[in-house]
Amino acid sequence: MSQPVPLSLRNLLGDVLEMSPDEITSETSMDTVENWDSFRHLQAVLAIEGEYNVQLDPQRIPELTSVALLQSELEKKGVAF
Amino acid sequence: MSIDSDSSELRQGIKEASLAQDAPTVLRLVRKLASNSVKPADMMYCSVTLARISKALEKDAAMRPLRTYIVRSVTLEPILPSLTVEAALQGYLLEARLGGYGSYVEELLNPTGPLGQFKPDLVIIALDIEELAGNLADLCATGSERGVDEEIDECAGRVQNLLTAFRSTNPARILFQGLTVPDRSPLGDVGDANLSQSLPNAIAELNRRLARMCRNTSACVFFDLDRLAARYGRSHWRDERMFLASRLPVASQFFGFYAKGLVRSFSSLLRAPRKILCTDLDNTLWGGILGEDGTDGIATGAAYPGNCYWNYQRYLKQLSTRGILLAIVSKNNRADVEEAFERRSADLALKLDDFVAAKISWDEKWVALRELSEELSLGLDSFVFVDDNLVECEAIRRHLPEVAVVATPVNEPWRSVEMLAEQSYFDAITITNDDMGRLEEYKAQAQRVQLANTAASREDFLASLGIVCIFGSALDAPLTRAVQLLAKTNQFNLTTRRHSAAEVEAFANNQGGQAIVVRVRDRFGDAGVVGLALTLTKGHICHIDSLLLSCRVIGRGIETAMLATIATLAQQKGATRLLGEFIPSKKNAPCATFYADHGFALCMAPPAAAPDSIFYELDLTVSVPRMPAWIATEG
Repeated sequence: MSQPVPLSLRNLLGDVLEMSPDEITSETSMDTVENWDSFRHLQAVLAIEGEYNVQLDPQRIPELTSVALLQSELEKKGVAF
Repeated sequence: MSIDSDSSELRQGIKEASLAQDAPTVLRLVRKLASNSVKPADMMYCSVTLARISKALEKDAAMRPLRTYIVRSVTLEPILPSLTVEAALQGYLLEARLGGYGSYVEELLNPTGPLGQFKPDLVIIALDIEELAGNLADLCATGSERGVDEEIDECAGRVQNLLTAFRSTNPARILFQGLTVPDRSPLGDVGDANLSQSLPNAIAELNRRLARMCRNTSACVFFDLDRLAARYGRSHWRDERMFLASRLPVASQFFGFYAKGLVRSFSSLLRAPRKILCTDLDNTLWGGILGEDGTDGIATGAAYPGNCYWNYQRYLKQLSTRGILLAIVSKNNRADVEEAFERRSADLALKLDDFVAAKISWDEKWVALRELSEELSLGLDSFVFVDDNLVECEAIRRHLPEVAVVATPVNEPWRSVEMLAEQSYFDAITITNDDMGRLEEYKAQAQRVQLANTAASREDFLASLGIVCIFGSALDAPLTRAVQLLAKTNQFNLTTRRHSAAEVEAFANNQGGQAIVVRVRDRFGDAGVVGLALTLTKGHICHIDSLLLSCRVIGRGIETAMLATIATLAQQKGATRLLGEFIPSKKNAPCATFYADHGFALCMAPPAAAPDSIFYELDLTVSVPRMPAWIATEG
């Protein structure tokens, strides 16, 4: 069911969430990670925008609450991992 | 691609060094990473790593902990990692606490609220236009003058009340962030430029008023955010999308510049500017090599490329008029240099006389700098060295790590001024008359050294100087000078407590307290206000909290004169004992035996004393420090 998460995304979220990149899977989400709060979420979004050179729609941002959702949003934006 | 792989290599190095608690290496690698990455994730990684080794940073990298409370109306959380990293690179261990969004008034004014309880060293006040002057945009849009001035007055008055009320209960240093001038308004570019009450004009006026308030508030710096936004481009300084969605005031690609500007601003409250700029000559002060190109062959003057060097010379001359000393450190023949300054004087913006010293020889430059430091009694940490030769620059960095080094680009002489201006070495929040007279003072110092070499005994020499000490209150010195002395005196400073203006005022105004300054002059010149003592007499004991003297005047008995004055005033307040305190630092060895030399005896520390403090006492009923015979006093 779950697809592999690209290393660059795991590394980036590892920095933001203060986790090891190895621990990050597509199921990792705001529900499973305690310090993934709204500020970390904003930091994650800014880091992602800087890394992949994309702009996320502010209305979508609060909905992208898991690694899987972030990844598929990026794929929709045409990011090739 | 190569930047990415560099980054991951650097991060691996940072990780290993942090596991080994190797603070200096972590800092060095973080500096490198920060200089070639603008990625928020890298900054988050660095900031988390720095937090993890904070103890080692404090102990092994001499970083200064800085409790910082941020009062704000905007979202600053995502910028904190950049701020933490930049602060660390400048020597500060930032412990930041963010206030609530709408609660700045309560935070600033309630002494027992979250800010007061945090006991910050520094308070950053970052409020945006919407918070400070929300009505201004609508008023200015009418294009008429109606109401605009009143609104500016009202905003300024509100901030003034806040600052005054805050200062009356809290001595923390303050950074007040200015407003960015909006790039767009309904009046358009033409209306904004030509109508006196346009929004940009109104905000610029409000910024001026805010800056003036900061000047009139002790230990407070105005952070000119608009200048920063203008430098990097006002139109995209703020990402409108993220501002409207999350109140993020700065676009993420500028976090690093924002952090740099902010840290540079508050640093001026925490450390003293450097005092002397040592410049190379060939390909730095002028173009070409004097020994090869000859006096007429070097490039300087009105025509390109000579005007690049002329601009650099003029910038140096301007630095010197505000009290920065200039010196020449050059590998050349002295006679050639003297001839060049004479024959090309019309093409040079500086004369040899503008330099406090000229070290012209074929010796190593780091040897010359060390000599200069001794001759002028200036610590190497107040030196800036400018040279185009990368080998010379590297040698200075290796031999004299305290010296700040600026490598000017030899093939781009037009950039020298820009490179100097980018550095914060000479940043000062105030400039006093004492600063401006410094060149003459240091030249006088050189004359004194000459006289000392001819006088028979120390006493004869000192008597021949005709020293006069004028004692007065630190409040009239002026107060800014007393605070400046506290901030920058290192060698003869018995406790090295960096008190703020508010704390000095407290000494002066408290029952039993004294804040005494000494002004010194002799037959060669007026050294200005050079010494400060803060004391507190309780019952029969007068505790000397701070005693310091500028290194320019050490060893002439002025330290003894200060002690004699302290004793006299203490006796008037009913004291029978002086309690001297000494806190050893890396730099204050010159005054380690000061109390013992003046007849004090070691004694027990009073309760609640700082752990590093060493205490001495003197029973004034047995012996009182005397004014040296060669010193006359006034005031």
